[in-house]
Amino acid sequence: MKKKPLVRVVLAKVGLDGHDRGIKVVARALRDAGMEVIYAGLWQTPEAVVRTVADEDADFLGLSLLSGAHLTLVPRVLQLLRQAGLDHVGVLVGGIIPEGDVPKLLQMGVARVFGPGTALPDIVAFLRERSGARSA
Amino acid sequence: MLDTLLERFRQSDRLALARLLTLAARGEQLNELRSAIPQPVQGTRTVAITGSGGVGKSTLIGRLIELLRKQNQTVAVLACDPQSPLSGGALLGDRFRMLAKPDDEGVFIRSLAAAAGHGAVADHLDVMLRLVSAFGFDVVLIETVGAGQGDTLVRELADVVILLLQPETGDDLQWEKAGLLEIADIIAINKGDLPMAEQVEAQVRATLGLANGQQIPVIRVSAKTGEGIEALWAAVAASESGHGIRFDPGHPLLRRAQESLATWFARAQADQHPDLQQLLAGWQQGTLGEEEAIQALFDLMARGGVTPPLT
Repeated sequence: MKKKPLVRVVLAKVGLDGHDRGIKVVARALRDAGMEVIYAGLWQTPEAVVRTVADEDADFLGLSLLSGAHLTLVPRVLQLLRQAGLDHVGVLVGGIIPEGDVPKLLQMGVARVFGPGTALPDIVAFLRERSGARSA
Repeated sequence: MLDTLLERFRQSDRLALARLLTLAARGEQLNELRSAIPQPVQGTRTVAITGSGGVGKSTLIGRLIELLRKQNQTVAVLACDPQSPLSGGALLGDRFRMLAKPDDEGVFIRSLAAAAGHGAVADHLDVMLRLVSAFGFDVVLIETVGAGQGDTLVRELADVVILLLQPETGDDLQWEKAGLLEIADIIAINKGDLPMAEQVEAQVRATLGLANGQQIPVIRVSAKTGEGIEALWAAVAASESGHGIRFDPGHPLLRRAQESLATWFARAQADQHPDLQQLLAGWQQGTLGEEEAIQALFDLMARGGVTPPLT
């Protein structure tokens, strides 16, 4: 039997946009890279996402936003993660994020923003590198 | 490090529970965990929901959570989804269908990857059961991977097994087949809002009626509309209280005892237990019937001479 994968990733869409093709493609890519993907799906509240990350003991949280609400919702998620004692969880953001907003998100504590056109192996490599650095 | 985690766990720290479950899932420090929590807490009700993929197990569990929370019972869900035999990765999508209030401390949902060929449940589920039970959840719901006809392992882990079926899944010969259908304590026909549901219910009832003495409840539910959920849970409660009291031939408990006989005898031989060896000889030579053998075993156990093997 293959050894259990060491990386657990929660993927979620917070807020009200219903575009989940991108997040499903990412979910599939991470699955095929040997990671455990907990797909939390559409229309999640920041509270629900943080509860999921906590109970699932996830290493990473990937948020997909195509609604333009990222500067409202992402800080809320980050704040709740901190309150829950989950500072160690790496937060990734994907979707439609205007270039000017990327530094703001990184400043808030997002580990990385992956926009449209990102090659899937880049996301995989980033997670592997980060999880390796953390467990070392 | 484990001691610290267990200490936090005992102080009801959910993050500690989550991390201990990760250890169990990865097969790390299993012996330490097993000795820290020797068995599930008495009174925890463990119910498994099994059935093929897409039949509605997760959605049904969502409904059961709703019902149990109304009854002020706390619920932990251990939801299994398949692990890739190729990459070792998994896409765990069960919790998506279980609507729970995010601020409700009385609900804990954990997604688990189950390797192929492991009976449709995650490895070391016994340890995880002990953990959520010792944490204090009243009810533990186990969701299997979309199970095939031969995936019967979950029988060993749960007090009550609900097999979930759906309309339009084959003709009435399907219900004659061995395996999954035999291990169910309760059969629920989901998607009861669809037109063919009544027919499937009738077929299953007719098939069960052919067997002697079996009293397996068949309940039509709709996880979509919520219809029949209360009746289903009532059947769960009834099924459990029946254990150890009724002893009709063909009762699930008796069948389980029969399945265990071979294991017990093998162990008795290994232990050189004289009474059991005598029993075994009698059973093998046919001078002792199966049910007499079981009765004799129970007598031995009651006298404290034999402990059943832990599964």
